[in-house]
Amino acid sequence: MTTKEGSAGGKRISTPIIIAALAVVAVVLLAVLFLAQRPPTPTPPKVAVIRFAGWSAGETEMKSYQKMISLFQQQNPDIIVKYEVITQMFSENILASYAAGAAPDVFYLDSAWAPIFIEKGAVYPVGDKLPRDFVDQFYPFLLEPFKGPDGKLYGLPKDWSVLSLFYNKKLFAQAGVPEPTEAWTWEDLFAAARTIYQKTGKPGLVIHAEFNRWLPYLLSNGAPPPVFSSGADAAYFDNAAVKSSLTRFIELFQQGRKEGWIVIPADVNTGWSGEAFGKQLAAMTIEGSWMIPYIVDQFPDFKYGSDWDLALIPRGSAGRATMAYTVALGVNSKTENLDAVLKFIMFIQGPEGQRELVVRMGHTLPSIKTLASDPELWPSHAKELGFVEKYDRVQVFFYGPKTGELEGKFAQVLGAAVKGEISAQEALELLKEKVAESFKS
Amino acid sequence: MNFFEKSKRLEALVFLLLTLYPLTLNFFFGYFSMLFAFALSAFEWDILTPMKFVGLKNYQEMLSEIVHGVEMLVSSPRMLHLRAPFFNGLKNILLYTAMVVPTQTLLALVLAAVANQRVRGAHFFRVAYFLPATTCPVIISLIFIWLFMRDGFVNYLISPLTGGFKPDWLRDPNFLLPAIALVAIWGTSAHFFVTFLAGLQALPREVYEAAKIDGAGVLARFIYITIPLLKPLVTYVVVLGTIGALQMFDLAWVMAGAGGGAGGAGYTVALDIYNTAFVQLRYGYAAAKAVLLFAIIFTLNYYVQKKLAFGRVT
Repeated sequence: MTTKEGSAGGKRISTPIIIAALAVVAVVLLAVLFLAQRPPTPTPPKVAVIRFAGWSAGETEMKSYQKMISLFQQQNPDIIVKYEVITQMFSENILASYAAGAAPDVFYLDSAWAPIFIEKGAVYPVGDKLPRDFVDQFYPFLLEPFKGPDGKLYGLPKDWSVLSLFYNKKLFAQAGVPEPTEAWTWEDLFAAARTIYQKTGKPGLVIHAEFNRWLPYLLSNGAPPPVFSSGADAAYFDNAAVKSSLTRFIELFQQGRKEGWIVIPADVNTGWSGEAFGKQLAAMTIEGSWMIPYIVDQFPDFKYGSDWDLALIPRGSAGRATMAYTVALGVNSKTENLDAVLKFIMFIQGPEGQRELVVRMGHTLPSIKTLASDPELWPSHAKELGFVEKYDRVQVFFYGPKTGELEGKFAQVLGAAVKGEISAQEALELLKEKVAESFKS
Repeated sequence: MNFFEKSKRLEALVFLLLTLYPLTLNFFFGYFSMLFAFALSAFEWDILTPMKFVGLKNYQEMLSEIVHGVEMLVSSPRMLHLRAPFFNGLKNILLYTAMVVPTQTLLALVLAAVANQRVRGAHFFRVAYFLPATTCPVIISLIFIWLFMRDGFVNYLISPLTGGFKPDWLRDPNFLLPAIALVAIWGTSAHFFVTFLAGLQALPREVYEAAKIDGAGVLARFIYITIPLLKPLVTYVVVLGTIGALQMFDLAWVMAGAGGGAGGAGYTVALDIYNTAFVQLRYGYAAAKAVLLFAIIFTLNYYVQKKLAFGRVT
C-alpha cells in the first residue's frame, strides 16, 4: 500500500501521486462539463414524446404495433411514440418503473391489476376526457374492471377474450358421442367425457384447477359473482349455492381424475390445456380465445372446423355463464403529455387500430361492438362473438382489488383439492382463509 | 526514494484506480441495497404510494407466521404449504441445504481427487467435470424437467435398480425437492471441483511420497492427508455452498413454479419473498423476510467457521 514516508523519511505524499490524483479529478470535471454542455438532440418544436409499454405476444404483433404507430405519427407529426416491449414480468416491471419515477405514459393494464393501480391513483381517469360516443362503442361489461370507486373510468379495453368449450371432433366421432349442442348441460359434458375416455383411452376433459376456469360452472349453478373487497367477503364461500356447486365440482374432479376421464394439464405432461388439446391428448377443454391462434400457429395440421370446433359452455340449473378477460391501455396519472396520449389511445383502440391489431391478428376479440361483424374477423372468433348474447352472464375476470393475488392463492388450494391432498370441505375453509389473509394487511 | 520504493507507490496507485470501479458498483448494488432492505423492513410500502413507517410490525407478523407454521407442522402437516407458506419455505430450504451442501462438497472433493491424477486423459476429465458450472441454471432446469419426466431418462436409468418403480419426480411432493437438489448438486459441485483441484495441486508432494513409503494406500492418503490439509478450502466451500443453497430461487422457480409445485414441496424462502413483494405488493414485509434469511445465513456460517474450526489445519 502507499507509504507515507518521503525520501527524507518524513510523512509526505509524493509529487507523482498528487499529479496523478489531480489528473483524475481534472478528467472527471472535464467529462462532466462536456456532458452538461452537450447540445440537446434537435427535435421539431413542440413535439410530444410519449412512451408506450406492452408485453410481447410475438414478433408479428410487435410489427403490427410498429406499423400502426408509424401511421399514427404520420397523421400526428407533433407526436412521437416510443414503443417499449417488456418481455417478462410485465406488471412487476411497471411497478418498479413507478417507484423509479420512470413509468411509461401508456401501458397495458390487466383487469386483475387495474383495481390496485386505480386505488393508488397511478392511472388517469381517461373517461373524463374521451368523447362519450367513443366510449359508447365498447362492450359495457368490459368497462367494469376499469371503473374506480368514484365511478370514473380509468381505461378502455383494447381487446378481450372469452371462455368457450373446445372439442376434438375426431375423438368424438371415434367414441361415437354426439357433438356438443346448445342444449348441453354440465351433466351432458361430464357424461360425454367419461364415455370418450372409456372408448378411446384419452381423457374427455382437460381443465386447469383455477378458480376463474371453474366460475362458469359455479355461476351457472346459482352462485353469485365473486366480489372480494374486504376480509368479510370471505363469506362468499359460505353461500349455499357456492358451497354446493364448488363441493360437487371438486368431488367430481377428484373422482374423475382417479378414473382418468378428467385431468389437469400436468397429468398429460403438458404445460397448459391448450397444449394438451393441441396435441390431441384430451377431447375437450374450456379455454379462452387465445387458444385459437396458438393452435393455428403450433398445430397447423389440427384444423378448425374439420378437426376441432367451438361450442357454448354448457348450461347449469341457473342458466349459462362464461368468463371474459380484458386488458386496457392505462394512462400514467403523472403523464406530461395527456393530450397526445389521449389521441394515441383513441387511434390504437378505435376501429382502425383494432381492425389491424385485433381483427386481422386474430389473437383476441375486438372490444368494439361494431367490429363483431367485420368481414376480416376470423371465423372462429366470429363464432365466439356470436355466442356472447346466448350467455345469461358474461363475468369479467375481476373480483376486486386483490384479484391477481387471490387467483394465485385459490389456484394453490384448488390444485391441492383436485389431487386429493385435501377434501372439498377443507378447500372451502382454506379459500375463506385466503381471502381473509389477503385483506389482513 | 529508490527505484523499488517508487514502483511500490505506483503499484498502489494503480491498485486504487483499478478497484475504484468495482468498489463503486459493489457499494451501490451490494451494500447500499442491503442497507436499504434493512431500512425498508421497518416500513409498509406498495411502491405506488409513499412508505409508511411501521416499526417492528413486519417482524411481529413474521414471528406469528413462524409460530403458526410450527403449530401446523405438528397438527396438520399436509396443509402446511397452504396455511403457512413462509414457514413451509423455511422448512424446505433448510432441508434442501442439508441435502445439497454435504453432497456437493464431497462430490467436488472426490471429483477433484480423481481429476488430479497423472493419467492419460486427465485434462479431458477436468474439462468434462467443469462444464456443468458454465451452464445457465435456468436452461439446465428446463432440460432436467424433461429428464425427470415419469418416462424420462432418469427413470429409465434407475428403474432397473428400483424394481420397476418410477418416481414422479416433479409431481410427487416426496421427490420434488430431491429432484431440485440433484440439479443443484450437478451444477455447483462442478464449480467447487475447480476450487478443490487448485487446492490439491498446491499440496506438497513430499507428504504423499512419505506416506507412500510408509505403506499408506490411496484411501488412507485421501482420508488422513488430503482432507486435513484441505480443511481451509472445505470451510470455504461449505460456507459458499450454504450461502448459495439458502438463497436458491432460480431452480425452484423453473422446476416448481411460483407456488412451489406439488404439495408446496419446492417452495422456498426466496420464492416467498418474491410473492410477498411482487404479488402481494408488500415490499416492507418482503424486506423483513429477507433480513431473517440474512440472519440465518450469517448465523449458520458463523457456526461453520468459528465453532467447527474447519479453518484450522491441525
